[in-house]
Amino acid sequence: MNRYLAIGMLLVPAAACADGIVVDRIYDPYVEALETEIELRSILQYDDELGDAQKYSFGVGHALSDRWALEFYAIGTRFDNEHLSINAYELEAKWQLTEQGEFAFDWGVVFEIERGIDTQIWEVTSRLLASRDFGRWTGIANLGLVYEWGSGVEDEIETELRAQARYRLSESLQPAFEFHLGQDTLALGPVLTGLYRLSPGRKLRWEAGVFLGMDDESPDRTLKLNVEYEF
Amino acid sequence: MLKSDSRPGARCWLISIALGLAVAAHAATPEFEIEIRNHLFEPDVLVIPAHTKVKLIVFNRDPTPEEFESFELNREKVIMGGSKAIIFIGPLPPGEYPFFGEFNPATALGRIVVQDDGDAG
Repeated sequence: MNRYLAIGMLLVPAAACADGIVVDRIYDPYVEALETEIELRSILQYDDELGDAQKYSFGVGHALSDRWALEFYAIGTRFDNEHLSINAYELEAKWQLTEQGEFAFDWGVVFEIERGIDTQIWEVTSRLLASRDFGRWTGIANLGLVYEWGSGVEDEIETELRAQARYRLSESLQPAFEFHLGQDTLALGPVLTGLYRLSPGRKLRWEAGVFLGMDDESPDRTLKLNVEYEF
Repeated sequence: MLKSDSRPGARCWLISIALGLAVAAHAATPEFEIEIRNHLFEPDVLVIPAHTKVKLIVFNRDPTPEEFESFELNREKVIMGGSKAIIFIGPLPPGEYPFFGEFNPATALGRIVVQDDGDAG
């Protein structure tokens, strides 16, 4: 048991370099022209052997056109009781490839580049986004290809798959079920999401989910909380 | 098994068939038009056929942008002032699907009425 605990402790820094937290936001493939958004995203991961981890992302984004949007994030990740500080920056570009409803699936791509502040580690990610409506259900899938390099880490390529099935019950409350698969993680769980209109052109989107690890390598429990103010 | 020198011909046929199907699919998509004028949708009621994908062309005649929005249709689309946007809707079962202008929700209101073939005008 102690051996596994020691291995787990050794893996934590490695996970920190690779971010190590697979559960994250699932992107739809759409860009809303003129939209500016401020986003606060929290991922809280709990595991008796691996230890706990928390990732907070604060983002500001703006749509450059009806096809392209840019978002900049400051990211703070901490493990167990470490001091929380901003330890990475990320620039994200979203590209809507097809008009919603034109084809059997709607398509988009997200490009991300992230740089660790103290670690000199770089990470670039491309995500293919697909979405389709099935009556009041909406299915979304994100397939990611991640390349990481820098001092102290071996260059590596990882793949990630995230998927969501969401029931459009009402604008303010939409239950969903999500699946997250990536490095050392296979997690499933329910999500609630919704939207509140504050005034014309101003909206607040929220999302909360709980995920359970489906194998021994996966974190036992992960919480996802996301709030976006759009104007 | 096809020889390698026969594949370009087969590929050409497959591409032609695929393109033909894509063009046919687009050609068969019925088109409807709506205008935004003085922050009102004209017409404010649009009847479309059930179980059919339609192409909605929204012309914004106002100088300011407007956003066509509908939770029921699962559509959000900004139309810049003095321009147009294309919104694909459906296939949908019969029913009424309200929409509104996100930037002028008090006045820019409308609904899509989906009717079975023969009832749609």
